[in-house]
Amino acid sequence: MAEDTSRRDFLKSLGVTVGGAAITAAAGVVSGPAKAEAQQPKGTIPDKPFKVGHMTFFTGAAAVLGEPMYKGHILAAEEINAQGGLLGKRKIETIKADEAAGTDANVKEMRRMKLSENIELFTGVTSSGNTPALGPVAEELKLMTIFVDGCTDFLWDKAVPNPHYIFRITNMQSADGVTAAVGTAMTWPQVRKIAHIHPDYSYGRNAFDHFTVAINKLVPGTKVVSEGWPKLGTTDFTSHITKAISAKPDLLVSSVWGGDYVAMYKQALRYDLFKKMKFTSMIAFGVAPHAIGKDHPQGVIAGIHSNYYFTYPTSNRWPLNDTFVKKYYDRWKEYPNFQSEGAYVAMHMFTMAVERANKLTGGWPDDDAIISQLEGLSFSGPAGYIHIRPDNHQGYKDAVTGFSINTSDYDFQILDPKRMITIPIRNITAPPGWPKGEPTSTYTWIEKTWPKVA
Amino acid sequence: MTMVTVLSRRLLLSAAVILALLVILPSALDPYQTILLSYGLIFAIAALGFNLLLGYTGLLSFGHSAYFGMGAYAVAFIVKYLKITSMEVFLIGGILASAAVAALFGFLCVRYTRIFFGILTLALSQVLWSLAFKFFWVTGGTDGLRVPTPSLLGMQMAPGQDKMTFLAHRYYYYVLIIFLAGLAVMWVIVHSPFGKALQAIRDNETRAEFVGVQVRKYRFVAFLISGAYTGLAGALWVPLNGLTTPEILHWTFSGKIVFFTVLGGFQTFVGPIIGAVVYNYLETYAVGHTVYWQLVLGIVLVVLVLALPAGIVGTAKRLGLRLRRAA
Repeated sequence: MAEDTSRRDFLKSLGVTVGGAAITAAAGVVSGPAKAEAQQPKGTIPDKPFKVGHMTFFTGAAAVLGEPMYKGHILAAEEINAQGGLLGKRKIETIKADEAAGTDANVKEMRRMKLSENIELFTGVTSSGNTPALGPVAEELKLMTIFVDGCTDFLWDKAVPNPHYIFRITNMQSADGVTAAVGTAMTWPQVRKIAHIHPDYSYGRNAFDHFTVAINKLVPGTKVVSEGWPKLGTTDFTSHITKAISAKPDLLVSSVWGGDYVAMYKQALRYDLFKKMKFTSMIAFGVAPHAIGKDHPQGVIAGIHSNYYFTYPTSNRWPLNDTFVKKYYDRWKEYPNFQSEGAYVAMHMFTMAVERANKLTGGWPDDDAIISQLEGLSFSGPAGYIHIRPDNHQGYKDAVTGFSINTSDYDFQILDPKRMITIPIRNITAPPGWPKGEPTSTYTWIEKTWPKVA
Repeated sequence: MTMVTVLSRRLLLSAAVILALLVILPSALDPYQTILLSYGLIFAIAALGFNLLLGYTGLLSFGHSAYFGMGAYAVAFIVKYLKITSMEVFLIGGILASAAVAALFGFLCVRYTRIFFGILTLALSQVLWSLAFKFFWVTGGTDGLRVPTPSLLGMQMAPGQDKMTFLAHRYYYYVLIIFLAGLAVMWVIVHSPFGKALQAIRDNETRAEFVGVQVRKYRFVAFLISGAYTGLAGALWVPLNGLTTPEILHWTFSGKIVFFTVLGGFQTFVGPIIGAVVYNYLETYAVGHTVYWQLVLGIVLVVLVLALPAGIVGTAKRLGLRLRRAA
């Protein structure tokens, strides 16, 4: 990198695209995960029900983001059961638990589900505060686990560096901060003074760290003029909002999520915050779509945890998404969020792995056979292609973010499907084999390998 | 006199039966139930310590999460910085650390009584919570700190051994023995002249002072013992849970310790023990079976305060007495 790299060239090298163009070439190539295998399963399959434990937020401010996860899971389970269950025989039975009970109670509950209820698969989990606690417990319990979210890098970097039983489907957390930074650099390269408001726990710090390391490469000369760290679950953001405004920033960056975010944007409106500065969020539209009112500011970067929004991939370019959104709407009378998609895909992915393992071993495959099929699995879901990396058991799909817009099609505000930003995930997360870093592998990877644009 | 011997013989008999049950339980129940009971016994140690202040000294602390959390974090720091995983070192470290914090906080708090005491203990415990929460490069913040399987009396868990089996057998017995030892020591304390002096302070501070009890000093010592007991519970809890997070330093956890004690009955010696074990089952099953678990716990608390102010053990005792009188 001896020569100077311009921002435009570097963004081009990241493969960032805007709009629906990237996906058109790919559409229609693969069959969806929802299609049942036509073949009969090999060997005799017991017809004992297959018990699944599902944990997410059912109460509190986090529920507006977390609870749709359960709905996605149930939709998938009902589809699989309509085909006779797993391998046509084993009907899925779900037991649910409220993640809001707190980390320690969640650890107890996971043990109860496995040891007392004899679940064979555990899914769900929303908060990054919980996966590092539950991951090691799942390994101790030898419990097949597919975390839907709780996407902290810390889980694979530190808590469970060599996972065997646990997997995770939604994008790695560091992608969030980097995606927001790339979106900002493309849209508002003139910003210099940046204010931050993030929830005061690992996710907020992760978002802050990765946004900052990436924006420093993409827009040299920026500086942080204000930081606000409200506690997770806060509903009064007044002091943080006024503090950000008084610093007169060009841009406010925030990773406040769920019901907290809904409260924050409504309060920010009262202070005309969005008229005074640009706004980039990692996860504003991560909530159930109908939770965002038409009063939300338009044209801001309203992130979706770099995962999925139901209006994209756009209608009939990626039929898998149309079918999923329709089915979900018919079942729940609302639209899915990225958690719904994650939980839905997780169950279908598991089914796919069970079917493949059955072809190899016959009968009901043991956990190790299923794990061997999950590792390295690549398939397509409503959001696009997904790859499960065999070394860290993490799901990777292209990161997306977008801009808020009001349309007459929905009575809530949506992400503009014509202006979606898509970034190949390979270009914004640390590759396999990259040494574990501090605070994360992706952080050190960006710091060491990205050029500072001129 | 005969009444007393009959009572104590009956007491000994029922204690022996309960002890025998506790010893054979791991072979009779599935591992999960045993692990759950370990949690209950550990909380019972914390509640015993707490009740030395509430039931015997008449001081309602709303900050016992501080000592429980200090015990747990001391263990986590021993692992993180000293790379030691011996359970005996954990226990000593946990007790010393929590006693040190109790000495500091106690020095400030015993100058006050009633609501002022309660608020001060609460405020001080919240200071520790925010330290654990904010100094994430030391404490791990909300991610907490992990604690690996400890060695018991120098014996490591065999490689490849199932952690659940370890927790449900060896660790359970370890907890049980410490619980029984803690129980015996607390029994001696509350029945000693020191314990009687505490009760005198509880019943009438002024009179106690007039008969020569050094009220503040006695309160301080009670505070110290109480904190150390709760710290011991924290140190035992953390290997069972696998990690420690700021949640156990938060005042809501202090509220739980109060709940244990009120549920069991704070005017009796065994009340807090029963309360802790019962609460642990109650919470676990409420969380496991309904998303309205907070409602369930809330209703229990309301019913408790309105209908059973003496708690489970207090009410059982009263019923027993009434039955005996009727007979």
